[in-house]
Amino acid sequence: MADMNRERHRTRETAFYLFTQQSLPACKPVLTPGWVITIFLFMGLIFIPVGLITLRASHSVVEIVDRYDTECVPEAFRIDKISYIQDDSIPKNCSRFMKVHKYMKAPIYIYYQLDNYYQNHRRYVKSRSDKQLLHGQKYHDTSSCQPVELNSGQPIVPCGLIAWSLFNDSFTFIRERAELKVNRKNIAWKSDRDHKFGKNVHPFNFQNGTLIGGGKLNPKIPLSDQEDLIVWMRTSALPSFRKLYGRIEEDLDADDVIVVNLMNNYNTYSFGGKKKLVLSTSSWLGGKNDFLGHACVIIGSSSLILAIVFTLLHLKYRRPHGDTSYLPWNRKSLSG
Amino acid sequence: MSGWEAVNSQTSQPGSSVQKTLSRTVTLGRVQPQTPALRTIFCNDRDANFAHRHKGNSISTTKYNIFTFLPKGLYEQFRRVANLYFLMVSILSATPYSPVNPVTNMVPFSLVLLFSLIKEAFEDWQRFQNDNAINNTPVDVLQAQGWETLQWKKLQVGDIIRVKQDGFFPADILLLASTNADGVCYIETANLDGETNLKIRKALEKTWDYLTPEKACEFKGEVQCEQPNNSLYTFTGNLAIGNQTLPLSPNQILLRVFSEHLFSIISNVVKGCSLKNTDFIVGSVIFTGHETKVMMNSMNVPSKRSTLERKLDRLILALFSTLFCMCLLGAIGSGIFIDRKYFYLGLGKNVEDQFNPDRRFMVFILTMLTLLTLYSTLIPISLYVSIETIKFIQSSQFINKDLNMYHAETNTPASARTSNLNEELGQVEYIFSDKTGTLTRNLMEFFKCSIGGEIYGTGMTEIERGVAARKGIKVQEVQTSTGAVREKGFNFDDVRLMRGAWRNEPNHDACKEFFRCLAICHTVLPEGDMSPEKIKYQAASPDEAALVLAAKNFGFFFYRRTPTMIYVRESHVERMGKTQDASYEILNVLEFNSTRKRQSVVCRYPDGRLVLYCKGADTVIYERLRSGNDDLNKVTRDHLEQFGSAGLRTLCLAYRDLASDLYESWNEKFIKAKSSLRDREKRLDEVAELIEKELILIGATAIEDKLQEGVPSCIQTLSKAGIKIWVLTGDKMETAINIAYACNLLNNEMKQFVISSETDAIREVEERGDQVEIALFIKDEVKKQLTQCLDEAPQYFCSPNGPKLGLVIDGKCLMYALDPSLRIMLLTLSLNCASYSVWIKGLHTAKKGYAVTSLVKKGAHKITLGIGDGANDVSMIQAAHIGIGISGLEGMQAVMASDFAIAQFRFLEDLLLVHGRWAYIRLCKVVMYFFYKNLAFTLTQFWFTFNTGFSGQRFYDDWFQSLYNVIFTALPVVFVGLFDKDISPSLSKKYPELYKEGVKNMFFKWRVVAIWAFFAVYHSLVFFYFISASSTTSLDRSGKMFGLWDVSTMAFTCVVVTTNLRLLMMCNSITKWHCISVGGSILVWFLFISLYSAIMTPLDRNDNMYWVIYILMGTSYFYVTLLLVPVAALLVDFLYLSVQRWFFPYDYQVVQEIHKDDIHSTGLSDLLELKQHLTPDEARSYEISQLPKEVSKHTGFAFDSPGYESFFASQFSKYVPPKAWDVARRASMRSKATPN
Repeated sequence: MADMNRERHRTRETAFYLFTQQSLPACKPVLTPGWVITIFLFMGLIFIPVGLITLRASHSVVEIVDRYDTECVPEAFRIDKISYIQDDSIPKNCSRFMKVHKYMKAPIYIYYQLDNYYQNHRRYVKSRSDKQLLHGQKYHDTSSCQPVELNSGQPIVPCGLIAWSLFNDSFTFIRERAELKVNRKNIAWKSDRDHKFGKNVHPFNFQNGTLIGGGKLNPKIPLSDQEDLIVWMRTSALPSFRKLYGRIEEDLDADDVIVVNLMNNYNTYSFGGKKKLVLSTSSWLGGKNDFLGHACVIIGSSSLILAIVFTLLHLKYRRPHGDTSYLPWNRKSLSG
Repeated sequence: MSGWEAVNSQTSQPGSSVQKTLSRTVTLGRVQPQTPALRTIFCNDRDANFAHRHKGNSISTTKYNIFTFLPKGLYEQFRRVANLYFLMVSILSATPYSPVNPVTNMVPFSLVLLFSLIKEAFEDWQRFQNDNAINNTPVDVLQAQGWETLQWKKLQVGDIIRVKQDGFFPADILLLASTNADGVCYIETANLDGETNLKIRKALEKTWDYLTPEKACEFKGEVQCEQPNNSLYTFTGNLAIGNQTLPLSPNQILLRVFSEHLFSIISNVVKGCSLKNTDFIVGSVIFTGHETKVMMNSMNVPSKRSTLERKLDRLILALFSTLFCMCLLGAIGSGIFIDRKYFYLGLGKNVEDQFNPDRRFMVFILTMLTLLTLYSTLIPISLYVSIETIKFIQSSQFINKDLNMYHAETNTPASARTSNLNEELGQVEYIFSDKTGTLTRNLMEFFKCSIGGEIYGTGMTEIERGVAARKGIKVQEVQTSTGAVREKGFNFDDVRLMRGAWRNEPNHDACKEFFRCLAICHTVLPEGDMSPEKIKYQAASPDEAALVLAAKNFGFFFYRRTPTMIYVRESHVERMGKTQDASYEILNVLEFNSTRKRQSVVCRYPDGRLVLYCKGADTVIYERLRSGNDDLNKVTRDHLEQFGSAGLRTLCLAYRDLASDLYESWNEKFIKAKSSLRDREKRLDEVAELIEKELILIGATAIEDKLQEGVPSCIQTLSKAGIKIWVLTGDKMETAINIAYACNLLNNEMKQFVISSETDAIREVEERGDQVEIALFIKDEVKKQLTQCLDEAPQYFCSPNGPKLGLVIDGKCLMYALDPSLRIMLLTLSLNCASYSVWIKGLHTAKKGYAVTSLVKKGAHKITLGIGDGANDVSMIQAAHIGIGISGLEGMQAVMASDFAIAQFRFLEDLLLVHGRWAYIRLCKVVMYFFYKNLAFTLTQFWFTFNTGFSGQRFYDDWFQSLYNVIFTALPVVFVGLFDKDISPSLSKKYPELYKEGVKNMFFKWRVVAIWAFFAVYHSLVFFYFISASSTTSLDRSGKMFGLWDVSTMAFTCVVVTTNLRLLMMCNSITKWHCISVGGSILVWFLFISLYSAIMTPLDRNDNMYWVIYILMGTSYFYVTLLLVPVAALLVDFLYLSVQRWFFPYDYQVVQEIHKDDIHSTGLSDLLELKQHLTPDEARSYEISQLPKEVSKHTGFAFDSPGYESFFASQFSKYVPPKAWDVARRASMRSKATPN
């Protein structure tokens, strides 16, 4: 025991000695040409395959995008779209045709995409009350919901700008006269549904004000089941974003034509935002996005090129490594 | 007793009333030395003194106490601009304009504050401990007829105390009695003024008897003296005993020493006490505690800041302006962006000011505030704390504990007295060094001689060894002959001369003359026992003592002197082994002075032979040699030059036989001259000339002014490192030049410029005596010489292989050269000189040291280092950027004023080339890394602002932002600051040129900053745009989309991983601690986010982050991105690093490559090696014959007769009798020799 203690003491002393004398064992990597070339080569060899695999995944995704915000405004109103959208008396339904150019395997995800919509604006992001969403009217302090906190003295559930501006275009899909079944369940993250939105909280006094921002909610359905709202309230990172609307759980064949009947309710006209409808399949890497693949391939190939360049340099202008004549004080005396 | 009290109360009445009125002024402000009132002390009467409320003897050097700590400590913290800024930001973040939770800024800020406060508290606690140790030192106090041991702090004014031998004084004491006769005691004041000699204090005769407790009890005196003041060398007061009033002088006062020094005495760091050679003394306390003279005098040394730190301030300022620009840009954007058309933002009638489209200017202003809090991470909050921690460990663990800088003989480690200047050590360009005690040991040793054309002495000087090493010649160590005599002052070994062996030499007659000349021609006084072992020689100069000592060792033992006779015990003269006493009558002594440069003695042998022995500089001796002996003269001259180039101090010895009639006639003239009243000196010189001619050369002596160990090689290394060394000395020009040769400062390859005031022209003018004319003339002359030097300098400077330049300038000339009109010229010349030495002669060396140092510091903006050991170097040490004191010797004044203390000059090499260089490189890395990581992080936030309608929405969660600096990236950089090591210490000493990188400030230029800024910008773009561009579509099979917080968590993960990996890339050496800390930081982040996003407390719901990391980690996207983004960011850095190393390598990188394959021995083998190195039995016997003989015009004449003037005396323009030193010395010796 004493021996062990002494041994430990000695080891500690040695360690401390190494520390104070600054001679801790260390690896001293020196970036020799060999290392440089190897590392570049290695990077190239890793990233090109990874990039190609990612690209392939992205390319395997079939995506149909249809911008409908302009087309769905009747010709007569094209000059003043705002009055069109704000006039409730004008019917907002609209039909679009989408051609499937390639076989799409179920599930096919339906997204709506908004552009120039600052869901990440500070005023917008903070205008919600997480506690109210979970506890409903039991929670009173909803000051963060300004300016959509109260209406005629009554609290609004869900309060805040985000909920108030809920997207409310709706879509139905018809293929060869048969309506495609759209599954609108399970479109929000499970953690949101289970833990952020109350199971017993029902919309109250919602969208009753003078200004209607967007969609209305069925007061009979608890918030945790209002998946549209849940999706909408996970605010996006960028001003151009997609949100999941639902799933078509049937395969679509190439050259199928889908008729989309939509209600063009949501006002993006006043701020010049675009609205798009997206049908997309998915791969293990998600939706169609070439960026990752391209980035990987570019990184990989530039590494390879650099490896080659450095190899050539090394062969042609071999830098005498560790040549003392490289030291300036030697250089001076040599040249002089 | 009662009668005494009655007297006391009567006499004290007026005094105490004065005291009362005055005590108010005393308590109001700091006590002024000029306070025109008196303090009255009743000795041995506590009750009477109690009324005056003198301060107690306990001292406190702490800054805080328990109650003042928080307010005062916080106040100190907020004096820093950065802290004030963060306080402002923290306050701002509590307003509604803040996009972030107040915790974001407050948590890191309070962590930093807390850390600083703990550090302050720790330091103060240490001071408190020191104070306690001092305050609790025991001392004998007279109480109730006996000595009682009390603690220092209990001491009161008026107490009678006893201090024993080797004890130190607890307060300022009035000496009453001493065990020595005549009430004398000896004190050592080395702690106070650095002077090693003992000083005498003498009690008033009236009080001599109060030695025993019984007697002392009866002592009732009343001291009326000045109020406490800080003048160490004055004291005015009276002692009233009974009806008598006796004047007191500083001679009766024993001063307390500096408490800082006191502590080191107590803890045995330094040896040195105050009372010497006295059994004990009895005294009365006059001033206590903070009122003692030293405490009132304690210097508040202004803390120095390093140049790097000042540059760092500029960097921070640049960051501030960047921050401002970013805020401005964002604020302008927000003012333009805000519009009612974004109906979903609810910008109705009653919208608050920040978002009110009708008041765009308000929007601009308020967004400015918003963004200021948002981007506050741009200013690295933990930078200063990290730097301080790093520097503290560097100095306390690395510098203080470096075995390479540990001097085993004196048991002195290096000590960093401040941790502010570590990196400054890596950038020194000028060293100002004191000579005596710093470069040399001020120990003259007889080393070699040349007799009759033959060199004797086998030793090898440091410089010869250096030359040999440079030429790659291996010097063999030759066996010292058995029984070689070694003695302080004599370091000579040659079997041909020792023990009478000289008799067998072919030139034994010359040898005999040589030894006689040494034994007779001097002005030395023998002291002590008349045996060769015990005798002590008192000489005006150590050179002379060394010569007489040499004679003794050669068997010509000079043992007695009377005014007319010199007695020498001569051995082996008649025959081997025979000893006989001889007496020589000294007829005349022609003394040494600086113009004559020689000394002669005319003596009569017992057999009546009349001889003149002369020793002096080769130049003056050779002029006076009898012609006809040219061969010998030429050979000896060669020898002189050889000695000179070996750095030895030479003297020529010559003699002349005198015919008695010639002598008689000359002696008449001599007596006449001696008794003349006008121009005696001059006339004596003239008369001496008459007889000092027709001399016959005997030989030459070579004395080594023993350099400190390793000085020449250290200086050579330092000058190779591009450091210019100026040596300031009080020596004569010749001595100075000689030492310069000895320490390698000057060599024959160097072009020397000598600016001297000892030219004939100047002397001529001086003789005329018109002060104004002298001044003008010298100034003119100096200007002429400077111009000439400047004209010549470029032609040497331009050619790379040309000689280096050295400058020698004497004090008088320097005084004029420092004149504002000539200053520029001196500076230009000095900057052109590659290596550069100045020699200053004159009394006020201290002042000139200061002036020269300041000239270079302020005029050239170069970093200067002052090194010295004595009190006269203090001003130089303080004027320089870095002050270094030589410790381990008795004097502490220089150490007290210094920033670093080392035991030997040669440790400067380690201190500068190893520690300084590393500290500089490490600190640059740390600063640059901080700059980079904060910029990269904050810029992602900035790019995000452009995508949020300039609203100032935060990208990251509050906690990410607050913990980024203090947790996720804090530790690894500290390890870099501690452990990063580009090349091993031995290599940095082998390639001193690497040091130039620091001098040129290669690693902290704006160019370097720009490169790092570029990488930071690039990385932030990668972080933000790669993440945002790749997350526009769904990212897993379920088709669900990411929200803002998912994206930002992804981005933050990439930031943490990348910045930590980037740190690894900039390391030159990677220890396991690097890996642990970098890996640990990344791991801590993942641990943190796993917990943080899993926990949802009812109190603080964090809905945003809930489950985010698990959602992320459930996608393959997360892993691909985590691979891609750091690589995409770091690949460019890697490319830069490879290209830089490939095409534009730094010098250290080349050295790294040269020694890439060296096995770096670490661990215990080093320890063993060091231990061997530390116990050097430096045998100084090497074979000299193997040395290439350098041809030099320099012969090395030097002969000093230094005066022992006191620095403080000259400072305070007080006259100190030159003999005081001698008296004290002798007294101390006598008492040592005869311990009663």
